[in-house]
Amino acid sequence: MSNPLVQFDSLRIDVKVTRTRRLTIVNSATFDVQPGQLLGLIGESGSGKTMLCRSLVGTLHRRGAYINSGSLTFNGIDLISASAKEWRDIRGKEIGYIPQSALAGPNPVMTIGAQMAEAIQLGEKMDKNVVRKRAIELLEIVQIRRPEIVLKQYPYELSGGMKQRVMIACAIAREPKLIVADEPTTGLDVTVQAEIMQLLKQIRKDLNTAIILVSHDLPLINEVCDDIVIMHAGSTVEKIPSAKIQDTRHPYTEALYRSRIDLVEPRGKLVTINGQPPTVGDWPTGCRFAGRCDYAKPGCSADVEIPSIKIGPNHLTSCIRQAEIWGK
Amino acid sequence: MNLLEAFDVSVTFKAFGYEVQAVKNVDFVLPQGKVVGIVGESGSGKSTFARVLSGLQEPTGGYVTYLGAPIQDGKEIYKGELRKAVQMVFQDPYSSLNPRMRIINAVAEAVRVHQNPNKAEAQQIALDLLKRMGISEIDAFKYPSSLSGGQRQRASVARALSVQPKILIADEPTSAIDQSAQSQLLELFSELIKDGLSIVLVSHDLGVIRYLTDNVYVMQNGEFVETGSSSKIFENPSNAYTQKLIASIPSSGKK
Repeated sequence: MSNPLVQFDSLRIDVKVTRTRRLTIVNSATFDVQPGQLLGLIGESGSGKTMLCRSLVGTLHRRGAYINSGSLTFNGIDLISASAKEWRDIRGKEIGYIPQSALAGPNPVMTIGAQMAEAIQLGEKMDKNVVRKRAIELLEIVQIRRPEIVLKQYPYELSGGMKQRVMIACAIAREPKLIVADEPTTGLDVTVQAEIMQLLKQIRKDLNTAIILVSHDLPLINEVCDDIVIMHAGSTVEKIPSAKIQDTRHPYTEALYRSRIDLVEPRGKLVTINGQPPTVGDWPTGCRFAGRCDYAKPGCSADVEIPSIKIGPNHLTSCIRQAEIWGK
Repeated sequence: MNLLEAFDVSVTFKAFGYEVQAVKNVDFVLPQGKVVGIVGESGSGKSTFARVLSGLQEPTGGYVTYLGAPIQDGKEIYKGELRKAVQMVFQDPYSSLNPRMRIINAVAEAVRVHQNPNKAEAQQIALDLLKRMGISEIDAFKYPSSLSGGQRQRASVARALSVQPKILIADEPTSAIDQSAQSQLLELFSELIKDGLSIVLVSHDLGVIRYLTDNVYVMQNGEFVETGSSSKIFENPSNAYTQKLIASIPSSGKK
């Protein structure tokens, strides 16, 4: 196996609440991303998905958050100690970012052309005509018809799907090695969602870009991604190849998989996950899923660090009782 | 007799000199005790039509009947007792509850307006309802900001049910909440259906529609392009747009 492109190792992210009070929002994230891989990151609201994305584009401090411990490397570069100058060479050029809200993503008072020029130049001086040609080329890649007209339009003149395509065009402007797509289809229709997913897959094929796709839609992630990373209450609980999702070694993944409604007969018995996800700052000790888990025993909540257990290639779990539950 | 029926309903909005016809001459039937789904993409007119059914929006053409009688009487829609018969659950649980009111008071307010008991009784009724929706007594006394999206959506359902409606109109009730919260809410809906509640469910999540509804109306550009029983539409869609919608559902595990 080649060297991983991104490596998260027990990454912990804290946020400043008041001058003295700190809250841990991501407790332990461990997984890696291979070059050219399409990786899905899934978890409930508040599980820390977006914060992990922010750590990859160096914008944690804008929300008063910082990396407390652990390590995060991208292409051999230590991202935690990277300076603002180093970040300028990474952000946009090496790592592209597609933000969560397609509808609010583009700047409402700038034309599409002006925003794309920013994404293409990234502060460097370039010939106007070269920039314009590149912008049109990018809009053609994301399958926007009549790009010359779109360049002169403002975001309010575009539909949600088109805005999201523009955001993708900006993210791939400098052909980055990695694209972080934070819930790119939330709020879009299923038909548009299918088109955007097709587009992301095409981009990955053509540019050999690795993509981290964040979502809370398990069927979607399962369909398009190679590997899936599952987060619960600030920790990565499992990393598993999509094709092997049914051989999960973590009760949370199992519960998520079984609670999908496309598997049951209409009005049939739905599998529900007990209770609510624990809230930030109020996390129980030991395994944080223990309170909602059908297999939990008192030992699960012991105040110890939960390790990542390797099951096979590309398969990590943090259920300490996995061997007991599923056998060898 | 059908519980709710719409005849030739149109809604036209006027804005900046333009006229936009959001709903174009549609007919609709909700039989007693059934669940009817309305699906379609954003901007197809689903929500506008749901608002017409619930009386929040006056149609510019056509009319709606409840048990055979028009719901509109002069200027008033759903007059008197009728107003209790139809209740609505809104799309966004983050903005449909008053952030300055404790959950229990938000529900008790609806009870007091419609049933006129004293304050303590209203609170008791509200508390029982919330418990039935799976919200504990501790959570019932919290403000909406301290509850999760799923809990807030269940509180909205409790508020809608507090007046014992015959019909619940749910506009995208699951689109803003997580998967685990979604299954809890759907479970709750199935129970309510068993108890005889009729539901109009608006959604663009076809999984939810397939799971809950008896009949489905597929909406595109303000018109119903296909209608029929849920099983027929999902197994044998005849309209090209419906086929495209169904093909877009991610179907993991069935590759």
